[in-house]
Amino acid sequence: MTFTTTIRPPADASHSTRDLKVEPIVFTENLWKLYHAGKVEVAALRGVNFKVLPGEFVSVMGPSGCGKSSLLYVLGGLAKASRGRVLVDGNDLAAMSDAERTKLRRFKIGFVFQRFNLLPTLDARGNIAIAQHIHGDGFDPHRFEVITKLLGLTDRLKHRPSEMSGGEQQRVAIARAIINEPKIILADEPTGNLDTQNSEIVLSMLSQLNKELGQTIVMITHNPEAAAYSSRVVHMRDGVIVDGTPAN
Amino acid sequence: MIRQLVVNNVLHRPIRTIVSVIAVGVEVALVILIVGLTSGIMKETAKRIEGIGADIMLQPPSASAFLAFSGAPMPVKIADKLRELRYVQAVAPVLLQISSAGGVDIIYGIDPKSFGEVSNGFVFLEGHDMQGPDDILLDDWAAKAKHAAVNTTFRLLDHDFHVAGIVEHGKGARMFVPLATLQDLSGSRDKASVFFIKCTRQDHTQAVMDEMRPIFAGYQIRPLQDFLSQMTATSLPGLDAFIDSMIALAVSIGFLVILLSMYTTVIERTRDIGILKSIGASKSYIIRALLGESAFICVIGIGVGIATSYVARAMFVSSFPTLSIIITPDWIARSAVIALAGGLLGASYPAWLASRKDAIEALSYD
Repeated sequence: MTFTTTIRPPADASHSTRDLKVEPIVFTENLWKLYHAGKVEVAALRGVNFKVLPGEFVSVMGPSGCGKSSLLYVLGGLAKASRGRVLVDGNDLAAMSDAERTKLRRFKIGFVFQRFNLLPTLDARGNIAIAQHIHGDGFDPHRFEVITKLLGLTDRLKHRPSEMSGGEQQRVAIARAIINEPKIILADEPTGNLDTQNSEIVLSMLSQLNKELGQTIVMITHNPEAAAYSSRVVHMRDGVIVDGTPAN
Repeated sequence: MIRQLVVNNVLHRPIRTIVSVIAVGVEVALVILIVGLTSGIMKETAKRIEGIGADIMLQPPSASAFLAFSGAPMPVKIADKLRELRYVQAVAPVLLQISSAGGVDIIYGIDPKSFGEVSNGFVFLEGHDMQGPDDILLDDWAAKAKHAAVNTTFRLLDHDFHVAGIVEHGKGARMFVPLATLQDLSGSRDKASVFFIKCTRQDHTQAVMDEMRPIFAGYQIRPLQDFLSQMTATSLPGLDAFIDSMIALAVSIGFLVILLSMYTTVIERTRDIGILKSIGASKSYIIRALLGESAFICVIGIGVGIATSYVARAMFVSSFPTLSIIITPDWIARSAVIALAGGLLGASYPAWLASRKDAIEALSYD
C-alpha cells in the first residue's frame, strides 16, 4: 500500500489563500459513525464536514457524548467510518482495511491520549523508541535527542511511567507521538488528567510544536482555556459540527 | 526493541513467569528422565547380558529379548544336546526368576561350574563362590542397594540365603543362586529359561547357529555380540507406546500452562495491546511480541529442565544404585524442541486473540 502525500505550501500567513490552493491535510465529507449497542444503533457522528489545513492547530470542543472522541478515532484510523469520506493526507480511510489504516497510523499520525497510555514495563526512552521501532526506521539518536531536549525529558529517560508525574508522562507521550514526524497529531483531552500547572506546560509545548515546527494538531477538549492555545476552535453537539472558524 | 519489551514484560510478573518456567522445566525433565530411564535400563541390561561372555543365547519360541519376561519351559537336558554340536565350547543353563520384594530384581539360578566355563568366572570383590544350596552371590551394586554383606543372611523369595560373596557387576543378573535351589523355589524342577553358549571361536558363532536351527526349530536363537542393538523400545511390547504417552503427557503440561499463562497475560495487558495498536503496531508485531515472550519463558524453562534432569538423575542413582538413567545430547535437543514447540503452540491462540482486539476497547480497558 502506498500513501499519497499532498503538496503543502509553507505555513506562512503572508501568502493569500486566494493565490495558492492549499489542500487540507484532514478532510471529511458527510462523515457518519454508527455504533451498535445490542439491537440499538447509536449515531456518534452525523454527517460531519470537517477540514484541517496543514500547520493548523484546531480544537474540537463540545459536551460529553457529542462525538468528539469518535471523530478523533475515525481520523486516526482506530475506528472505521460507517458512511462518508475521510481523507488524511490524501488517503481515504473509509476505503481502507484495518491493516491499511494501521499502516497509515504508523507513518502519518501521532496520538496523545488523556490517560497518557504509556507502556508500564518500559522506561521513558523505551516508550519513545518503540514508536521508532514500529515505524521501521530503527532508532534515530539525533532526532531522539532533539525531541527529548525540546520536551525537557533528558533527565527522565530512565524512569518508568510509575516513577514520573502526570505532566512528565504526557510529555513522554507527546515525544512518542512526534518522534516519527507524523503529518498530524491527534490529541484526545491531553490535559484531562493534569493539574493546571502541568496543563499549561503541555499546552505550551503543543503550541510550540505547532508554531516552530509547523506541526498540524487536532485536539479535542471541553476546556476553553485549553482551546485558547489553538488557532481555530470547532464546536460539536450531538454528532455534528455546529459552528467554528472556517478553515480558510 | 521488541526483545527489550519481551524481557521487561516477562520480568514484570515474576511469580507467573516462575510458574511457567517450572512447568516447562518439568516437561523437559520428564521427557529426558523417562527416555533416559528406559534407555538406561535396556542398555544396562544388554551390557550385562553381553558381559556374560557367551556367543549365543537359546530361548523358547516367542521369547522376548528382555529375559525377565521369559518363563522356564525348556528342559535342562537341552544343554547336553548343545554340547554335542561342533564348535561349542561350553553351555550354561540359567533359570530366571523375578522378585518384586523391595524392588524388581532378576535372579539367575546357575550351575556355578558351567556358568564359569561360559563367563570365565566371576571377579570376587569379597567372599567366595557358592558352595551350598542356600548360598547367594550379589554384585556390588545390588549389595550396596540392599545393604548386604558377606556371611550375613539375605531373605529372597521367602527363603533365607547366606551371602557367600560379592562380585563385580556386569555378568547377567545382580543376584545368583544355585540352579537346583531356584528350580525348587519356583516349582520348575529340571527346567531352564535360557541357555548361554560359548563357541570355540567367535567367528564360529554363525556356523553353530546354522547347526542349531534345524534341531531347535521355532526356538529363539540370538547372537549376543550385538545384543545391545536388539534391545530397542520395539522389543518390549507397549514400551514404545508408554514412552510416547509419557512424552505426550509432559508436552500437555507445558502446553496447557503456557496457554493459561499467556491467556492471562493478554487479558491483563489489554490496554498495552491497545497502546501498541494506536502507535501503529501491526497484528503480526503483536503476535511476535507475545510469541517472543513464550519462547523466552520456554528457553529458560528448558535450561531449568535440563539442569533438573541431571540433579534428579544424581539423586535417583544415589538412592537406587542399580538404576541406570542415560541422558543423551540427542534427547536433550529433542526435549528442547518439543518444549519450545509446545510453548509456541500454547501461546499462539492468546497471541491471535490479542492481535484481533479492538484498539478503542483495549485502550479503555482497566
